[in-house]
Amino acid sequence: MVDFMLAAVIAAFLNIGLLLVTIATYVQNMRVIRSYYTSGLVLVAILLMIQNIVIVIFWFTLYMDDKALMMSADMVAHYLFAINVIQTVGLSVLVAITRR
Amino acid sequence: MQSYCRNNDFENFQKEFFISNTLCEQSVIGAIVIFPVFSFSMIIPRTIFSFLGTDGEQPQSNPRFKMVLWLIIAGTRGGPNRAKILNLIKETPMNANKISKFLNVDHKTIHHHVKILSKNDLIVKAEKDYGAEYHLSPIMKENQNVLEEIMRKIGTK
Repeated sequence: MVDFMLAAVIAAFLNIGLLLVTIATYVQNMRVIRSYYTSGLVLVAILLMIQNIVIVIFWFTLYMDDKALMMSADMVAHYLFAINVIQTVGLSVLVAITRR
Repeated sequence: MQSYCRNNDFENFQKEFFISNTLCEQSVIGAIVIFPVFSFSMIIPRTIFSFLGTDGEQPQSNPRFKMVLWLIIAGTRGGPNRAKILNLIKETPMNANKISKFLNVDHKTIHHHVKILSKNDLIVKAEKDYGAEYHLSPIMKENQNVLEEIMRKIGTK
């Protein structure tokens, strides 16, 4: 059986990695062009990263500690997996067009 | 047992259906239906976003093109260099070699940037042959003030 929760967390880690690349590019540009646009890009990327960090923290603390929660979280884990994988695909496209 | 679907009935039904259908069509054609058409700028006027700091904005620039240019310049690696290339060939068309000498950037890098810029329809090559001069595309020429706005932001740092 596939552990969807673990797969979702792996996807979340991938997202964090992709977002780090994006943020690095955006910050480099922000240092040259200081404007609302560049700072907005950095802000959006950081917020997305916080979202993925929260997923990892949830998995690491609540999910691991609470057996009852683990049972109920496993029942909806495939949705979380789908959400994260779609995000990974989207971020990969973003990184591809950003680093060209 | 009584049959409900005799031929006669069916023909009647067909006739009625045809008449009602044509009537329906006529009424649709006859009626004047006015759909309210709201543009995005009517619902959310651009002045709402004026706090975002687009100082000295000229109304003649295309806002969609502006967004795309900002994204290509501010949202990609090496974007500031692309802005410099655009600013350089704005006045005098140049080939890739000349651009690399002017900006003091590696020849290969310039070639890559020029390729991306022409793929995004910001610049066009004068001729097909190697070493041809590049100049701004018509849409880029129309919206030069956007480029100037970005260059002012680069110039401050």
